[in-house]
Amino acid sequence: MPVLELREITKVFPGVRANDRVSLVLERGEIVALLGENGAGKSTLMNVVYGLLAPDGGEILVDGKPVRIRTPREAIDLGIGMVHQHFMLVQTLTVTENIIMGHEPSRFGVIDFATARAKVRELSLRYGLKVDPGARVADLSVGMQQRVEILKALYQGARILILDEPTAVLSPQEVGELFGVVRSLVTEGLSVVLITHKLDEVMGAADRVVVMRDGRVVGETTPAKTDQVGLARMMVGRDVVLTVERTPARPGETVLEVRDLVVLDERRLEALKGVGLTVHAGEIVGIAGVDGNGQTQLVEAIVGLKRPQSGSISLRDKDITHAAPRATIHAGVSHVPEDRQRRGLVLEFDLAENLILGDQRDAPYARAGIMRTRVIDEAARKRIGDYDVRTPSIRVLAGNLSGGNQQKLVLAREMGRDPDLLVAAQPTRGLDVGAIEFVHRRILTERDGGKAVLLVSMELEEIMSLSDRILVMYEGRIAAEFAAGEADAERIGFFMTGGSKKDHAPAPQAGTAVAGGGGL
Amino acid sequence: MWLSFLTPDLFASAIRMATPLALAAIGGTICERSGVVNIALEGMMLVGAFFGVVVTLATGNVWLGVVAAIVAGVLLSAIHAFASVTLRMDQVVSGTALNILALGLTGFLMEVIYGHPGATNGIAHKIGPVFNFPTGGTGVLATIWSWVDQIVFSYTPIVYVAIIIAIVAQWAMYRTRWGLRLRALGEHPRAADTVGVRVQAGRYVAVLISGALGGLAGANLTLEQVGVFSDNMTSGRGFIALAANIFGRWTPVGSYLASLLFGFAEAIEIRMQSFQQGNQIPVQFFLMLPYVLVVIVLAGFMGRAVGPAAIGKPYEKE
Ligand SMILES: Nc1ncnc2c1ncn2[C@@H]1O[C@H](COP(=O)(O)OP(=O)(O)OP(=O)(O)O)[C@@H](O)[C@H]1O
Ligand SMILES: [Mg+2]
Repeated sequence: MPVLELREITKVFPGVRANDRVSLVLERGEIVALLGENGAGKSTLMNVVYGLLAPDGGEILVDGKPVRIRTPREAIDLGIGMVHQHFMLVQTLTVTENIIMGHEPSRFGVIDFATARAKVRELSLRYGLKVDPGARVADLSVGMQQRVEILKALYQGARILILDEPTAVLSPQEVGELFGVVRSLVTEGLSVVLITHKLDEVMGAADRVVVMRDGRVVGETTPAKTDQVGLARMMVGRDVVLTVERTPARPGETVLEVRDLVVLDERRLEALKGVGLTVHAGEIVGIAGVDGNGQTQLVEAIVGLKRPQSGSISLRDKDITHAAPRATIHAGVSHVPEDRQRRGLVLEFDLAENLILGDQRDAPYARAGIMRTRVIDEAARKRIGDYDVRTPSIRVLAGNLSGGNQQKLVLAREMGRDPDLLVAAQPTRGLDVGAIEFVHRRILTERDGGKAVLLVSMELEEIMSLSDRILVMYEGRIAAEFAAGEADAERIGFFMTGGSKKDHAPAPQAGTAVAGGGGL
Repeated sequence: MWLSFLTPDLFASAIRMATPLALAAIGGTICERSGVVNIALEGMMLVGAFFGVVVTLATGNVWLGVVAAIVAGVLLSAIHAFASVTLRMDQVVSGTALNILALGLTGFLMEVIYGHPGATNGIAHKIGPVFNFPTGGTGVLATIWSWVDQIVFSYTPIVYVAIIIAIVAQWAMYRTRWGLRLRALGEHPRAADTVGVRVQAGRYVAVLISGALGGLAGANLTLEQVGVFSDNMTSGRGFIALAANIFGRWTPVGSYLASLLFGFAEAIEIRMQSFQQGNQIPVQFFLMLPYVLVVIVLAGFMGRAVGPAAIGKPYEKE
């Protein structure tokens, strides 16, 4: 008997049929990958199962019995746990507090923290999810935070674990560790629904693959019966080129020049310890590195979100070291931020409004301080078409778009501005393979049109397939530089994990750890 | 002169002045930790002060007056809870409206009940000090004892209650299930929701508690300190309490200590008024001092104070 069975689940949002009679079966001890384009309805389906959304039709069976799940609490009581695409952790609380919340071990309302910590420790030992129970969540890396999310679900007694794009924000090493954990979970009898856009992960981890498109299930297969190209075709409905063709760059004059840049982080420690780099017109410079080695601060300093301690930044010989974001936009810099929800969008604004953020005071969108709705809407419709943002209308709030479509919205705005310099951090985070292909092409087109591109990505594959030059960042410094084609994953990985130029042979563990969990 | 200035009496006076501020500030802390802004503390204090006197005058029982003050604060806060949690109104607008309502309502009822504006009659007996230890005599020991008596044992009940509430609330916020969930509500209500915590119910409870504490603060003002109610007698204390809550970094004990600072300023202000007889400085200058302190403290501090992340945002299920 399946542990979870969905029969003909339907969920309608204004203007969209997000789930259209979707059926799905999950057996005990099984990993089912749920695959589909951005906006196909994967998150919606899982939110229905977790009691966050009320379905408009259909039936859910747990252990063969029909159930009604109206709140997350009811889902938890049925043994369903979910790790959300956007984490559900309270940043100011400790790991233990986050895990036990809702099911606190307590007497007369007083929490028994000793028992709580012991339980957390026991679970973390049993499943190899190492965390410090007393640490504040805000101080943890994303990978750590994800462990906390998984522990939270396990603590609540989950037998069915839903993972919504768990690897989108992880470094390759962390991805490897995550799948180790998932495997140990299924051997203990848990069942897992895994949503991901990374086909290699699907091939490596899933027992079965269910593919959705436009709210419907369009096919089912197993990794043994297909390959990545086949999966991509099922998803998108056409052949997808998984690696783009790249012609050699023809670099022109210097567009961005960064000299001896020192930037402090929130704790006032030096996150950048004197970084220098140049990006020329018609060139893509890729920054590789494990998350948290100063990439965020570098990007934020360039686009004016962070004030450098010392050093200089200039754009076509114009000093923009202390320019405010508005001034950098005017100077011709576009910025695709790594966190679309925090920095990229105003979730409460509609799509048209989001698409002109930063340009709202300027022609043609405004005249004499008055916004011109007709012009704005027209431009919005065009960009949404160009970038294939899946939405019923431009009046939809950005927060109601699927994760991948939010990302496309940011790209549409920033790349549509026709900048001199495009600073793109994790530009394809959360995108489906079709959309990644599109964005990669687009970035190359920008380059060929004479734009300078600074690309920051944790996906080594992405860096290697797009960049004309690759810089490796480690602990706030540029640790190495390679020309296109000169570097392989192993050598880049070696410098990413702290190897220095003096040691010649790449350390084997470091190299494989990085190469092992690559992107596409 | 400065030595005669720093008498034990000054410290005792500071603690007394701090009490209504602290009670309201702790109420504000609890309310804001749940994610609801509460600028209606002023109004809650005012209705508490008013109904405390009205019921005491009517029944002759000052303890019934205290109960009435708390009930009045809770009722006013219930409106705030309904407006901001259920109706998802703007919380600052709701709070402002309630402050105006409290001012108008007390003024209006004063006319209706007593037939004149301004101030009520004095209540027959204010609530007296809890302890009445004998003091006096001469010598070092007697002096020390009189100091201890004044600083530790000279207060009315609500003053001690406020200290106990600060400690208990601090403990509850970090040690109990209620406290853990409260802290989560103001930071990330959706996360709390996904583990089965009832967001709206939790916020209601927090807002009502702040109303009870605001009402009790009002009772302290009229039934323990002044003995009469006069129009708008809280005169901005609710807002100072709000500042104390922020300065205390949204913690109960912090709120108490910050209130103590402002209470001290108030005590000094009163002392300076009496010291400067025959002088040219207008009395309003001294009345202004505590507020100036608030501005200085907040201006120097606000940049670093980080409040609950989801404060002021109504919670809506998808
Ligand atoms: N709260 C909402 N209100 C309105 N429309 C919504 C809402 N949530 C989702 N949608 C719409 O439902 C569709 C399915 O969205 P969903 O988030 O399930 O996609 P997804 O498959 O998870 O995509 P992605 O891979 O980009 O995360 C999208 O068209 C989206 O715009
Ligand atoms: Mg999704």
